[in-house]
Amino acid sequence: MPTIELSHVSKVYRTIKKDSGLRGAVKALFRPHYVEKVAVHDLSFHVDAGEVVGYIGVNGAGKSTTIKMLTGILHPSGGSIRVLGRDPHRERVANAREIGVVFGQRTQLWWDLALRESLNLIANIYELEPARYRQLLAEFAQTLELEELLSVPIRSMSLGQKMRAELAATFLHQPRVVYLDEPTIGLDVMVKERIRAFIRDQNQRNGTTVMLTTHDLDDIEQLCQRVIIIDAGSVVYDGPLSTIKQRFGTFRSIAFETAHPLEIEHLILPLGTAIASHGERALEVRFDRTVTSASQVATALMPQIEAIDFSLAEPDLESIIKQIYAGTHTAALREEVLV
Amino acid sequence: MRRYARLYWHFLLQRFKILLEYRMNFVIGAGSTVLLQAAGLLAVWSVMRQIPDLNGWTFDEILLVYGLITLSKSINHMFADNLWIFGRAYIRTGGFDRFLVRPINPLFHLLADRFCHDGIGNFVVGIALVLKASLALHIAWTPINIAYCLVAVVSGGVIFIALNLLTAVSAFWIIDSIPVTSAIFQTHEFAKYPLTIYSRGIGIVMTWLIPYGFASFYPAAHLLGRPIGVLAWLGPLIAVALITLAYRIWLWGLSHYSSTGS
Ligand SMILES: Nc1ncnc2c1ncn2[C@@H]1O[C@H](COP(=O)(O)OP(=O)(O)OP(=O)(O)O)[C@@H](O)[C@H]1O
Ligand SMILES: [Mg+2]
Repeated sequence: MPTIELSHVSKVYRTIKKDSGLRGAVKALFRPHYVEKVAVHDLSFHVDAGEVVGYIGVNGAGKSTTIKMLTGILHPSGGSIRVLGRDPHRERVANAREIGVVFGQRTQLWWDLALRESLNLIANIYELEPARYRQLLAEFAQTLELEELLSVPIRSMSLGQKMRAELAATFLHQPRVVYLDEPTIGLDVMVKERIRAFIRDQNQRNGTTVMLTTHDLDDIEQLCQRVIIIDAGSVVYDGPLSTIKQRFGTFRSIAFETAHPLEIEHLILPLGTAIASHGERALEVRFDRTVTSASQVATALMPQIEAIDFSLAEPDLESIIKQIYAGTHTAALREEVLV
Repeated sequence: MRRYARLYWHFLLQRFKILLEYRMNFVIGAGSTVLLQAAGLLAVWSVMRQIPDLNGWTFDEILLVYGLITLSKSINHMFADNLWIFGRAYIRTGGFDRFLVRPINPLFHLLADRFCHDGIGNFVVGIALVLKASLALHIAWTPINIAYCLVAVVSGGVIFIALNLLTAVSAFWIIDSIPVTSAIFQTHEFAKYPLTIYSRGIGIVMTWLIPYGFASFYPAAHLLGRPIGVLAWLGPLIAVALITLAYRIWLWGLSHYSSTGS
């Protein structure tokens, strides 16, 4: 039995447009004007115990919505979800005992309480055994470097300190499944490293299943063997990270700097190339090296643009995923998923 | 049940730690409610000084009505103040999501999250008023009267909480529920005085529709030995019925919860 299983899940938000004040409130309650928004559409995938999966997509793709359905906060509009064999919305409380969640943009700790007090409350909520709690607290305090922060209220912590505290709170009851929605947002490299190390360690020692949402591809590269890419609420890629790299690693790009302002409309592009970006005196062209070559592209373009400089680049994962996001390869990927 | 009592105690303890840290807040918060009450009472007193009685009710008798509703209100104020700001502070910010990913009842979590110390001021004023009135009116504090008073105040408190819960549910759709809650809550001003001074319609509304009457007028009339029949004993029943209804509606609202973007 997979740990997380979604089949044909959809989510449609129905929100009420409302004017302010009592009048607006009464009108909204009795004659509501609904606006519908499809956030997730026919979404299916499953995750096995102990996997660390990167769940990525552009802003608004439906990542947070998926996580809210998996945690039982929202119920799906259609399809079915199972987490550890349960329906997370119907059996929300039972599900809550087994999961941990981080929403990167907000805190689950009490703003005015010192970290230690916050963690005490959480230990009480999850009915942790006191001895076990003390042991975990000591352990987390060390691995997340929280010793000095235990007596500090959350409101006076920096972003990085807050996120470390947040992780301690999330893993305190030793959840079997953890959802991390942008856990590294806005953090510096050092803190990111520490957080990744902590997540990796928890996964390896306890077999915690982790679903991770991020816009930072280093997170993915360092933590996940598998990525699921969604776009407009549906899966466009689900597979190993290495496949994406191989599949799209054949793309290269050439950046030109030109002497005169460009006239993009008049450019004649050679076969197998596409414009990746352009500025007033800058042009970046992407090409598939199985179709054409750098010298062919350069030869074809140089006379047209009067280049004063150019450079060749191999794509990193970020630019590959940007291409996928931009829809350039969505069709190709879909085929791949089908095969 | 025991688990929730223990948990409430832990929440309360943390809350008091915060209050100790901000001692001035505590004093100002609790003190300002006392001042507010004093202003309201001064108005009643200055009116009553001009006339011997209001529709057959003396100043001290009115104080009893006023004191009882103040006590009931203070229960709501202390233990359920978060219902007011549920929409603004928990739904709009997405903070409510974190209640839903924890293995406890989210309504309990919401109420336990903030014991409101300002209510203590109301509580103290209420006690003082009821004591003052009972001394002046020679109401004997027999065990039966004490028990009756306790049940009446708790029932009244539950009625306040139930009505606020009922209106707070609107936050699941319209986010900011304060205008709706406030519209209903403000009608309790009527119940600060004997309902017999108003037209029949208001009396009926305050008894059967928005039953704040059971938080003040009916128990006071009973303690004063006025004949009100079975209405003297209906308070607890109405409180239980209303809170059950409100909780059902809360659950229904919860199933429509759609969180926030971001
Ligand atoms: N509570 C809500 N009510 C109405 N619409 C919503 C709500 N939450 C999200 N949406 C909409 O649903 C879509 C998916 O949003 P979601 O938050 O799941 O995206 P996301 O992939 O997490 O994006 P991001 O990377 O920006 O966090 C968006 O168009 C968003 O505007
Ligand atoms: Mg999101």
